[in-house]
Amino acid sequence: MRVQLFATCLGDLLFPDAVADAEALLRAAGCDVDFPRGQTCCGQPAFNAGHRRAADRLARNFTRAFDPDVPVVCPSGSCASMVAHRMPVRYDVWELSSFLDDLDAEPPARNDGLRLAYHSSCHLLRELGVDEAPRRLLGRTGAELVPLTRPDLCCGFGGTFSVRHAEVSVAMADDKLADGGRADALVTADPGCLMHLQARSSKVGGVRVVHLATALARGAA
Amino acid sequence: MSFPVLDEHRLAATDAATLRLMNGRTSAWARLDDVEELRERAHSIRMQAIDDLEGHLARFVAALEAAGGTAHVCSTAEEARATVTRICTDAAAKLAAKSKSMLSEEIELNGALEAAGIEVVETDLGEYILQLAGEHPVHIIAPAIEKTAADVAVLLSAVEGEPVEPELEALAQAARKQLRRVFERADVGITGANFAVCDTGSICLVTNEGNGGLVTALPRVHVALLGLERLVPTLDDLAVLIQLLAPSGTGQTLTSYTRLLTGPRRPGEDDGPEEMHVVIVDNGRTGLRRGRYKEMLACIRCGACLNVCPVYRKSGGSAYSPVYSGPMGAVLVPLLRGLEREPGLPHASSLCGACTAACPVKIPLHELLLDLRRDLVGEGIASRRERLAFAIWSMLWSRPILYRLSTAIARAGRPFGALAGPGRTWAQGRTLPALARRRFRDSR
Amino acid sequence: MNDLVETFARNAERAGFVVHRAERPSLPDAGVSRAAYGVAATGSVVLAASPDEPRSRHLLPEVHMSLLREDAIVPDLASLFAVLGGRLPSALAIVTGPSRSADIEQRLVVGVHGPREVHVVLERA
Repeated sequence: MRVQLFATCLGDLLFPDAVADAEALLRAAGCDVDFPRGQTCCGQPAFNAGHRRAADRLARNFTRAFDPDVPVVCPSGSCASMVAHRMPVRYDVWELSSFLDDLDAEPPARNDGLRLAYHSSCHLLRELGVDEAPRRLLGRTGAELVPLTRPDLCCGFGGTFSVRHAEVSVAMADDKLADGGRADALVTADPGCLMHLQARSSKVGGVRVVHLATALARGAA
Repeated sequence: MSFPVLDEHRLAATDAATLRLMNGRTSAWARLDDVEELRERAHSIRMQAIDDLEGHLARFVAALEAAGGTAHVCSTAEEARATVTRICTDAAAKLAAKSKSMLSEEIELNGALEAAGIEVVETDLGEYILQLAGEHPVHIIAPAIEKTAADVAVLLSAVEGEPVEPELEALAQAARKQLRRVFERADVGITGANFAVCDTGSICLVTNEGNGGLVTALPRVHVALLGLERLVPTLDDLAVLIQLLAPSGTGQTLTSYTRLLTGPRRPGEDDGPEEMHVVIVDNGRTGLRRGRYKEMLACIRCGACLNVCPVYRKSGGSAYSPVYSGPMGAVLVPLLRGLEREPGLPHASSLCGACTAACPVKIPLHELLLDLRRDLVGEGIASRRERLAFAIWSMLWSRPILYRLSTAIARAGRPFGALAGPGRTWAQGRTLPALARRRFRDSR
Repeated sequence: MNDLVETFARNAERAGFVVHRAERPSLPDAGVSRAAYGVAATGSVVLAASPDEPRSRHLLPEVHMSLLREDAIVPDLASLFAVLGGRLPSALAIVTGPSRSADIEQRLVVGVHGPREVHVVLERA
């Protein structure tokens, strides 16, 4: 099956290894992976900040770069939701884990003996309704899943929110890191959450935060 | 502009209360036969009234007057304050006993009555505590969420003139005694109204303590403050809404008292007011009926969105505007007061969508926040600098070649930190993320 | 019919009523009301204001007792409003348990303004 990989801007610029892991997982699941060279960003930062004209510019670029007749897969719940709900063209867009789970993919058993906590990114959970797929996949890699006490809570990123309300945003990250701190690593399917949680965790010496694609492809250790 | 985090004590209180209320709602929803169907029905009942407020209002007023009540339709807060004050002075009132009403907070009624020489006493326990403390409610249904028993003991002891033990039972008994005197002496009872039924001219009042019953039974005059949008067509429709209200608010099946008041006392009855006035307040509500914003008028003030909101949970109600807080406040207040006066509220959300998922009447709260942010930009309220930054960024990144160029330059220079202001703010509690040495696209 | 009574009794107890079958307890200080209806789904008693039933009777005493005929129990709120048929008393109180508040520290306390103890006596039709 042919798919188009949308790296997302954060994936491309900050987490290229996680995107490479996503690509490897897709190939292992039997997909032919295209990487449309014209891709940049889905425009969500502008959209969520209210700058619709700026968001439209990026949406138009997205529609030039991606073929609406080929499924789009991206390692980000938030960007997948943006593409699913806010584009002028309808795409068959999937967040990576829901796509792999739908294919009954069997990621390698790289997490044997590891205790992992999964943070549901808000847009993946509430806008795309994907809840169990990431946990199911992690389970297949041999990880023991440690349930979060408050899986419903946002990590505090929220794009420009993390700067406008920095104190609250950081306090939210602290709760998430503490909640995930009982595990060996905290896994998330969203580069936004990943960037934010890593940034806080590295400042205060908290739990390791890993992208889901990496945890599935190479293990979270 | 930026919301603070509550101090440790208030944080713990808010956290515990919101968690309990949230869990109460989810268990109560699970006990309902088909909560999704009920939510859909509730939403359509609310929108039916909102789409024809004039028609529903006319029907309600006619039915209320047929039952012997008096309707006063007020377009502004000022008019509503003056109307209630006039009703009280016409009744030569010295003391007004109030049952909880967010609308009375919205129109700042107490100050107006006091200025007219009328003593006003809040009789809802939480509101009474706040009135003694001189503070605003911080939660729609748990107004004194941040106060401890010790705080309350100090306030009640001052009224009592002798120490009241900071024990729950003792505090409740002291308040009961203090407020019973108020119910018995009050000339006017002032309440809100959770709903008004167009067919019967009734107002529906939902309470747990019973104060709503006493202020509508003992004083000579009853004044009910009704938000214009709280009209429901029929009693059947009311049944749907009250089946959702308590489960969503407190996690109860029903509150202890659900009261339908239809006109003043009738011949032969021993108690109940001689006059019943319903003061129907617009105060910006009809102006909300543009685009998707009219959905906000469906709000039944249950507080469910506050309890699930991670921002409310950290900052508490006082970080928002004085009356309505949490996600519903962040949407409603800018719409009622004008975006230019409340430009910060639409940004007081990480857009996690927990509010939308928790809303019993299916108001797309986080989508409305997005629309408000769009309008902040569209109406030129967002700063010029911010608009310019997004414009330039989008022009660069909407062309792949300029994206590659700009990100290559950024990697060569000092990355995100070079973004000055936002980067500095970010870096206060977090490390700045470093751009990868090779972009993903460079590896293919 | 019997099911309705059992459902009512179960839900009324859950709501905080003491339910008595046929036997009327001796509660000398209790206020006593005649309930117009009972609602099975919520365990509520419905008190309609009238010359015989003042609005405040169920609120002023510390202990209150409602007398409810079993054949006046309706399944749910919708059926209550259906039997009322739009003919409403000046005040209709749907009472579901004792007066309560959780305004202090979210801890439950009963008998804040109204009764702390509520009874319902089911009377055979």
